[in-house]
Amino acid sequence: MIEVKNICKSYNVIQKGEGFRGALKGLISRESEKVQAVKNLSFHIQPGEIVGFIGPNGAGKSTTIKMMSGILTPSSGEILINGRDIHKYRKQVVQDIGVVFGQRSQLDWDLRLGESFELLRHIYRIDKAKYEETLNIMDQILEIKPLLSKPVRQMSLGQRVKGDLVAAMLHAPSVLFLDEPTIGLDVGAKYSLRKFVKEVNEERNTTVILTTHDLGDIEQLCDRIIIINNGELIEDGNLEEIVDRIAPYKTLVVEYYDEKAPEHARCELFFHEANVAKYRFMKKDITAAALIQALSAEAQIKDVSIEEAGIDDIIRIAYGQLKE
Amino acid sequence: MKGIAGTIFHYIDVTFVNIRMALLRVVEYPSNIIGWLLSNPVQFLVGFATIQFAVSEFGDINGWNYGQLAFLYGLAVLSHALSMIFFVQGWFMGNYVIHGEFDRYLTRPMSVLYQFFFTNINIIGVTDLIPGLCVFLYGCHKVGFHWSIGNVFMIFVLLTGATLIRGGIYIILGTTTFWTRSNNDFAQYTQEIFDKTTMYPLSMYPEGVQFVLTYLIPIGWVTFYPVSNMLGLSNDYLQTSAAVWLTLLIGILVMVLAALFFRLGLRNYESAGN
Repeated sequence: MIEVKNICKSYNVIQKGEGFRGALKGLISRESEKVQAVKNLSFHIQPGEIVGFIGPNGAGKSTTIKMMSGILTPSSGEILINGRDIHKYRKQVVQDIGVVFGQRSQLDWDLRLGESFELLRHIYRIDKAKYEETLNIMDQILEIKPLLSKPVRQMSLGQRVKGDLVAAMLHAPSVLFLDEPTIGLDVGAKYSLRKFVKEVNEERNTTVILTTHDLGDIEQLCDRIIIINNGELIEDGNLEEIVDRIAPYKTLVVEYYDEKAPEHARCELFFHEANVAKYRFMKKDITAAALIQALSAEAQIKDVSIEEAGIDDIIRIAYGQLKE
Repeated sequence: MKGIAGTIFHYIDVTFVNIRMALLRVVEYPSNIIGWLLSNPVQFLVGFATIQFAVSEFGDINGWNYGQLAFLYGLAVLSHALSMIFFVQGWFMGNYVIHGEFDRYLTRPMSVLYQFFFTNINIIGVTDLIPGLCVFLYGCHKVGFHWSIGNVFMIFVLLTGATLIRGGIYIILGTTTFWTRSNNDFAQYTQEIFDKTTMYPLSMYPEGVQFVLTYLIPIGWVTFYPVSNMLGLSNDYLQTSAAVWLTLLIGILVMVLAALFFRLGLRNYESAGN
């Protein structure tokens, strides 16, 4: 159970003038500006949930996840994990969380993967039998054992992320934070990662909180999404509900035999190039069948397909790039 | 195991793993240690040769004869070496701050300061121990040091205190980078100042400097006061018979202050953007 209560985070950004003059001036008087990275964020996460944090770059996702995992101290507000404040009881609370940052590793670059695991085994006081057991389970999901004797610096990104995922699970945390875990991964490695998240969630009821720019991650893993922009909570809820609420339309893609694309009063022709046209229509206004029938009366249709509004539409709306 | 004993056992246990990993790293890149093994002893032995020259020219330095100076110099290098092994990372804290390297320590259930120093324990610092030990043993021989258990114990107390004073000062310097967020490298001038003030009798400096290094920045307590006390040398600035124990006490005090300051700094930690 994670309770986030009214957290804010502001940074002091030092303003530096341009060029040599600005640098000199900066030595005498430093003007700093307060930047609010996260503004009054509150939400609860139940045990066993998989929650996806999405938002554009600089929206405050990473700042939020870093506050939740004890790395950054909120300017105000509090974060309770299993009832305890992570900033007051850091050492106790982190015993119960695992953290993986896609772009940063907690593994020792110079040594074999097994050595990093051994250090963690001692840091978290995991007994040998329990360690072996966890390793066996992880081996079934991620095939980690063949990598144990490989130096981390010689690993591919996919292998290194596997190593980091196992490292974060060795002490069997009840909460797992993943900050952009799939970034830069190839299809196979992404598949492994998603399989891993699903399995630890199902088998161990691990709560998973992840940030991502990959819509596939969200669609395949998350029951719930939290959309953040400019440090504020924009949406929080079930993926399908949000789609139905803020993007309750479908898109009809029609390929005609010639370049003329007829319009229709109950839908919007928002894309037309050569002989392909895309119509956006509300489910309550017209059915797909009726629309196709009406269009085919005006021009000869070669092919049609229907696209549901999806996560990318949600994101575009939420990010303000698409006005309704 | 629970309680304080359990916690101490846990830290010792993890320390062994950290030392093992550091040794493995040395094995992984052996050329590294060979380079230091050559350059470090040379640096300090040349430094000591300079003292020998000065003494042969002028007879003594501020009432310190050759053997006493070797004793002092040796302990200064030994405490330097110990501080290099355990606390050298303090000099480069800015680098860790800027690159967000504290993230991983903050998400693990141990002291951040402990993890910072011991996961980066600098085994290479051992190469500094060699010249220190050579010069110190030579000094012991010259001053007729009596190798009783009590005296050896006092040397141990002195080195512990001296290492803590140095380490605490490195931490305090390094911690400032949480606010400046700059990649300051404190190595060069810190070592310069410590070398100049711990390897030679402090009494050769003007009184103002002695005051500062006695009361404000306790560098005088690293070697000068405890060694003066052990060798029965008087100095006209400060006399105490408990100087060795004071060194330990001041070491602990500086370390506690440094740890508190570090905690304050860590609250300002901003990690690093992706």
